[in-house]
Amino acid sequence: MNEETIYQYLKKKGASRRDFLKLCGTLVGAMGLFRSPLEGSDLLDPTIFESNTIQKIAHALENKPRVPVIWLEFQDCAGCSEALTRSQSPSLIDLVLNTISVEYHETLTAAAGFQAEANKEAIMQAYHGQYVLVVEGSIPTAGNGAYCTVGGRSALELLTEAAEGAAAIIATGNCAAFGGLPKANPNPTGAKGVWEIITDKPVVNIPGCPAIPEVFTGTLAHFVVFGSLPNLDDLNRPMTFYGKTIHDRCLRRPFYEEGKFALSFDDQGAKEGWCLYKLGCKGPTTYNACASIKWDAGLSFPVQSGHPCLGCSQPDFWDGGGFYQSQSAPLNSPEITAVGAAVGAGVAVGAAMAAGSAAQKKKVEAEEKRSES
Amino acid sequence: MNWNAFLEFTRGQLFNVALLFFIGGMVYRLVRVILLGWKRDRVPPAGSKLGGVVKTYLKGFLIWPFVPWVKRTFSRNQVMYLAGGLFHLGLFATILLGTPHMLVWKSLLGFGWPTLPLPIVDWLAAVAIAAMITLLINRRVNPVLKLISGPAEFFNWLFVFLPMVTGYIMTHHLWFPYEVLFSLHMLSVDVLLIWIPMSRISHFIFYFFSRTIHGTEFGKRAVNP
Repeated sequence: MNEETIYQYLKKKGASRRDFLKLCGTLVGAMGLFRSPLEGSDLLDPTIFESNTIQKIAHALENKPRVPVIWLEFQDCAGCSEALTRSQSPSLIDLVLNTISVEYHETLTAAAGFQAEANKEAIMQAYHGQYVLVVEGSIPTAGNGAYCTVGGRSALELLTEAAEGAAAIIATGNCAAFGGLPKANPNPTGAKGVWEIITDKPVVNIPGCPAIPEVFTGTLAHFVVFGSLPNLDDLNRPMTFYGKTIHDRCLRRPFYEEGKFALSFDDQGAKEGWCLYKLGCKGPTTYNACASIKWDAGLSFPVQSGHPCLGCSQPDFWDGGGFYQSQSAPLNSPEITAVGAAVGAGVAVGAAMAAGSAAQKKKVEAEEKRSES
Repeated sequence: MNWNAFLEFTRGQLFNVALLFFIGGMVYRLVRVILLGWKRDRVPPAGSKLGGVVKTYLKGFLIWPFVPWVKRTFSRNQVMYLAGGLFHLGLFATILLGTPHMLVWKSLLGFGWPTLPLPIVDWLAAVAIAAMITLLINRRVNPVLKLISGPAEFFNWLFVFLPMVTGYIMTHHLWFPYEVLFSLHMLSVDVLLIWIPMSRISHFIFYFFSRTIHGTEFGKRAVNP
């Protein structure tokens, strides 16, 4: 890695000026700059928005070096990396990956063992305060972090060390963002999301299971181009992609309004493409871009394919009731024994109070009789 | 605590506690009423108690309320008759025939039933909300109602109104994110469940209870001591 600019790097790789401008145009799309739900974003600054967005991006890429990225994996399944590398929109991913330089990635790095670790140390020193730290997977905090170690050091230690010199931190996937599956009740490893541990640095959450590759690259592109992080919601998710719910943009939404619901996965309603709300769809409370960006180059997304949304971009979605349990239903019904106890308590207290009243009535009557006689 | 965690709390633990309190509380109220004492039949009744109950239900539940001129229910207080009727209609249509609510019943009872399309339920809910506002104004204006209204009556109104209005805003995505209003909706429902046994909203069970008792009294045709 040297200090050549992104444009110089691309030129060296044989990209023409036209290719370069196409990249700039693609980045505009990737960042969602022309998409409407940029709620409250300063990117709505008309000077950026109206005429020269692409020029501004081109200018930035011509003058900025590629951004070094350190990618750490902890309690994860590498699914987010898989989704990114196997994305069906290679042009976009390739183009975005051309603007960054992944210096350390446990799954992708060719080097192994001490060499890989040594390279990471070197990059962290050379680009202190400049690199982007991407975290995939949750961080176990129980047992002094003994549940996840790399090279004999705990995830907690590695994260704290890498976060110290990072310009920005991106937590990709629900595990890194909110703890994900490892955090599911009873959370034996004491798993936590990155932002629960690193509180003195900006952490952008890109939750999802896995995170949508285009959302991840769009967020990264924003940092590369503008040197800053996009506008975030209260869960530190970029507003551009997490500003609306799945339900808001769902192609089955008209059926919800009409009250047409699939009642099982193979009934007539399912075949007609009706709403999956009754089959447990979590779309109404799930903020993500699945319904608009979709997956596999815009081919489809779970709800379109006939499966209810699981709510994988929301905190604690594993503990948010059954996947096929309707969202309006209470998380769990009271145990029959608890209901029995409540009824029993009602009867007992009621009977005791009534007995008390009866005794008092008798006493009063007796006193009245006595006073009469 | 973020809104998601709060939603989990109001949909989970708090709802369970509120529901158990509601069940226990209503049982307590019924036991207290039942143990107030019963009149003994000192002579065999000439009429049928069951017939009396059926007749009372038919008359008092299904006929008189809908034939307003017979008992002059309408002419006595038009606002109360119309707004009260529409409120009950909208309320029951929403909580029984709205899809999300039916799914709550299904999760608690184990069985479900067909529901109405959202726009219809939506209009009925809007009518119920408008009726509630009308009833509140009526309560503040009508001289008789003013005399018999204490804090409890206004709490009743508030605790029923909050779930309805939060539910309506949530369905229409008017303000605030969905999960914020969902949490507030669930919170207000939990408060309502705890409030019902302590208030006159318990009439939704006691109405049938007292109708039944009166029915037996009307039907048995016997001399009471």
